[in-house]
Amino acid sequence: MAKIKNSEEDELTIALAELAFQKEEKEKLVAELIIVREELAFQKEEQGKRAEELGIANIELVFEDDEKGKRAAELIIANKELVFQNEEKEKRAAELGIANKELIFQNDEKEKRAAELSIANKELAFQNEEKEKRAAELIIANSELAFQNEEKEKRAAELIIANKELLAFTYVSSHDLQEPLRKIQTFVSIILENENDNLSDNGKYNFQRMQLAAGRMQQLIDDLLAFSRITTTELKFEKTDINTIIEEVKAELKDTILEKHATIEAIELCPANIIAFQFRQLMYNLISNALKFSNPDIPLHILIKSRIVKGSKLNNKKLSPDKEYCHITIKDNGIGFEPHFSERIFEVFQKLHNKEVYGGTGIGLAIVKKIVENHNGIIIATGELQKGATFDIYFPAN
Amino acid sequence: MILKQMNVLLADDDIDDCLFFKAAVDEFPLPTQLTVVHDGEQLMRLLTNITNELPDILFLDLNMPRKNGFECLSAIKLSKELKRLPVIIFSTSFEQEVVNLLYKNGAQYFIRKPSEFTQFKKIIQHMLMLIAQENISQPTSEKFVLTM
Repeated sequence: MAKIKNSEEDELTIALAELAFQKEEKEKLVAELIIVREELAFQKEEQGKRAEELGIANIELVFEDDEKGKRAAELIIANKELVFQNEEKEKRAAELGIANKELIFQNDEKEKRAAELSIANKELAFQNEEKEKRAAELIIANSELAFQNEEKEKRAAELIIANKELLAFTYVSSHDLQEPLRKIQTFVSIILENENDNLSDNGKYNFQRMQLAAGRMQQLIDDLLAFSRITTTELKFEKTDINTIIEEVKAELKDTILEKHATIEAIELCPANIIAFQFRQLMYNLISNALKFSNPDIPLHILIKSRIVKGSKLNNKKLSPDKEYCHITIKDNGIGFEPHFSERIFEVFQKLHNKEVYGGTGIGLAIVKKIVENHNGIIIATGELQKGATFDIYFPAN
Repeated sequence: MILKQMNVLLADDDIDDCLFFKAAVDEFPLPTQLTVVHDGEQLMRLLTNITNELPDILFLDLNMPRKNGFECLSAIKLSKELKRLPVIIFSTSFEQEVVNLLYKNGAQYFIRKPSEFTQFKKIIQHMLMLIAQENISQPTSEKFVLTM
C-alpha cells in the first residue's frame, strides 16, 4: 500500500496538475477572451468609425456623383460641340483640299509662266544689249551732229561777219567811191565848158569819152547798190494790186513808151501778197528791158497777165505741188534772145549786147531774179532771136 | 524878197565841192555872204555861238567827219533856237530810205550833187533864189528831192 497509495497519490497529483493546468488554460482563455472582447469592442468601435467615415464618404460620393452627372452633361454638350467642330474641321479640310489642288494648279501655271518669263527675260536682255549698242552708236552720232552743229554755228557767225563786211563794202561803194567819180565828171565838165576854145577837136572828143566812161561807172555803182539793197533791206509783204504797180511804172516810163510807140496791155491781174516797192522795181526793170530791146521795125507790144495755179500743174521741181502759185507772164515782141542764154541773162554783169548799141550795166535782170527769190518764187525766161521774149514768174499766192 | 545881203552857210568837208559851191555863189546876182565849215562839230559850235541872227540857209553835206549831216540835222531841228534854220541836204549819194528819213527829220530839200558843173551851179542858184523869195517851207514829200 505505499505504492498503491503512491499511485493514487500520483494520479491525484496528476489530476490536480491537470486541473491546475486546465484552470490556467481557462484563465488564459478568459484573458484571451477579454482581449478578443476588447479587440472586438475596438473593432466594433473601428467599424463604427469606419461606417461613419463611409457615411461621410457616401455623402461625398453622392455629391461627387452629382458633380459627375453635371460634368457628364457638360461633357455631352462639349462633346456635341466637339463633334460640330470636328465636322466643321472636316468641311474646312475638304475645302482646304480643294484650295490646295487649286494652289497646286496655280503653282504649275506659275512655273510655266516663270519658264516663259525666263525666256522673255533672256530676250529682253538681248534686246537691252542691242539697245545699249544702239545707244552707244547714237552717242557717237550725236557727238558727230553736235560737232557739225558747232561747225554750222561757226559758219553762220562767219557769214554774219562776211555780211557785215559786205554791207560796209556797199556803203563804201555808195558814198566814198561815188565822190571821186563825181569829181572827175565835174572837172571834165568844167574843162569842156571853160576851156572849149583852147581844146583841139581830138582833145574835146577824148574828154567826152571820159565823161561817158565816168557816167557809165556811176550807173554801175548805182545799179550795184540797188542790187545789194534788194538783199539787205527789210522784206514787208502786203496784199497789193499789181495793176496799180503797173500804172505807176507806165507813168514813170511814159516818155520812152511814147518814143517807142509801145502798148502795154495788162489783163486779169490778181492782187498778190508781195513786197510792194521791190515788185515795182521788178516790173520797172522788166518793162524797161522790153522797151530797150524792142524791134525797131515793129511797134512794141507788151502783154502782162496773171493767174492763180496749183503747183502740181506746173511740173517744176522747184515748186511745191500742193501750194498755190501766182503766175505772172510778161511777154513782148522785141528782138528776143537765143534760147541758150535763158539762164545767163539773169547773172550779174551778163550782157548779150555791145554797150554802145544797148546801154546798161547788166544788173537789171539780176535784180529781177533776186526780187523773185525774195518772194520765194522762180522766174523763167524763154526767147527766140527776133521773136520776142517771155518772162514767167511763179511765187506763192499766199 | 530879201534885199539885204543873204547869209549862206555851207557845211562840207570836200574842198572841191566847196570850191564849186563858191563859184556858184559868186555868180549869183544877189549880194550873198558865204560861210564854210568842214565838219559837223564845227558847224554846231558856230550855230550855238551865234548871238544875233541865224544864217538864211544851211547847205548840209551828209558824209562829214566827227559829226555827220544826219546828227547835225537832228540837233538843229530839236533845238528851240535853231529849228527855224532852213536846212538843204547836199549829198553825193542817194538812198530812198535815207531821203525819207531826212524828210521826216525836217530837212527842207534834198539835193543830189550833180556831176555836171553847169547843173551844179544851176541847182544851187535856184535854191538861193527860193531863199531870196523867202519861199522855203518844207514841200510835199514828192517834191522834197530837188532835180534840175
